[in-house]
Amino acid sequence: MNTKLVTGDSGVKRWFYQRLTGIFLAVLLIVHFAVMHFTGTGETNYQIVEARLASPLWKTFDLAFLAFALYHGMAGLWVVIDDYVHRDGWRLLIYSAAVLAAVLFFTLGAVTIITFRPHIVWFPPKV
Amino acid sequence: MKKNVYEPRYRYHAGTVAWILHRLSGLALILYLAMHIWVIHHLNRPLDFNNIMAFLNEPVFKILELGLWGVIVYHALNGLRIIMIDFFTRKGAAVQKQMFWGAVVLGVVVFAAGAIPFVGTMIK
Ligand code: HEM
Repeated sequence: MNTKLVTGDSGVKRWFYQRLTGIFLAVLLIVHFAVMHFTGTGETNYQIVEARLASPLWKTFDLAFLAFALYHGMAGLWVVIDDYVHRDGWRLLIYSAAVLAAVLFFTLGAVTIITFRPHIVWFPPKV
Repeated sequence: MKKNVYEPRYRYHAGTVAWILHRLSGLALILYLAMHIWVIHHLNRPLDFNNIMAFLNEPVFKILELGLWGVIVYHALNGLRIIMIDFFTRKGAAVQKQMFWGAVVLGVVVFAAGAIPFVGTMIK
């Protein structure tokens, strides 16, 4: 087994931040479910999302959510790859593909949130 | 003569099962997150977005959503258990099995708390 990691670090920071983002995710998910599914009609459509995303506060929430979830998932994937892929070349290839995918999905999500509806309403009324 | 018998290092205790399920649920959630981001990006075209939402209202997806809810509840609660094992260094690991069963019981309650109203609106 090849023990030399491609990145050459022990991963202790990733380990720590995975736990930290895990705790954040648990809190954000509770808010997310409460708002999306347990208040209002429980359905989702453009108008409902539009009313919420008019607020920069919700945009900030969603951006943080996006970043934490992707970071947490990537840190997890890293561990899984370390467990099953032992050759440096393959690791480098798969890590790179994963990082690239994460960057693309972060960009797609961030652009969706940031560019949505420029008319700012800080505290949107409930639809 | 004693045979050289292979003894597996891991046996299927609560902790092993918890770990396997955690890994599978984590990977499933990554897959879902990717699809979620993809679906939500259609917000830039309101009509498309509403069509997709209507499509996802089909019973198949509702049932899948229920499964997703279970996966999330499991991963979240077992994740918090792992964090407690890691950070409560004095006692965490010693009570990991109890925490696993605690997470299972709490999980069933949380799952039901979400699933019952969900199924309620589904039937309506
Ligand atoms: C609800 C809040 C969450 C908490 C408290 C949580 C907690 C954790 C913890 C503590 C670990 C480390 C497991 C270990 O090192 O043995 C982990 C692993 C993982 N998590 Fe989460 N998580 C949460 C949500 C998510 C979400 C939303 C995703 C999807 C993007 C995700 C994907 C993963 C993956 C892929 C792993 C790696 C599995 C492995 O190493 O076997 N988690 N989670």
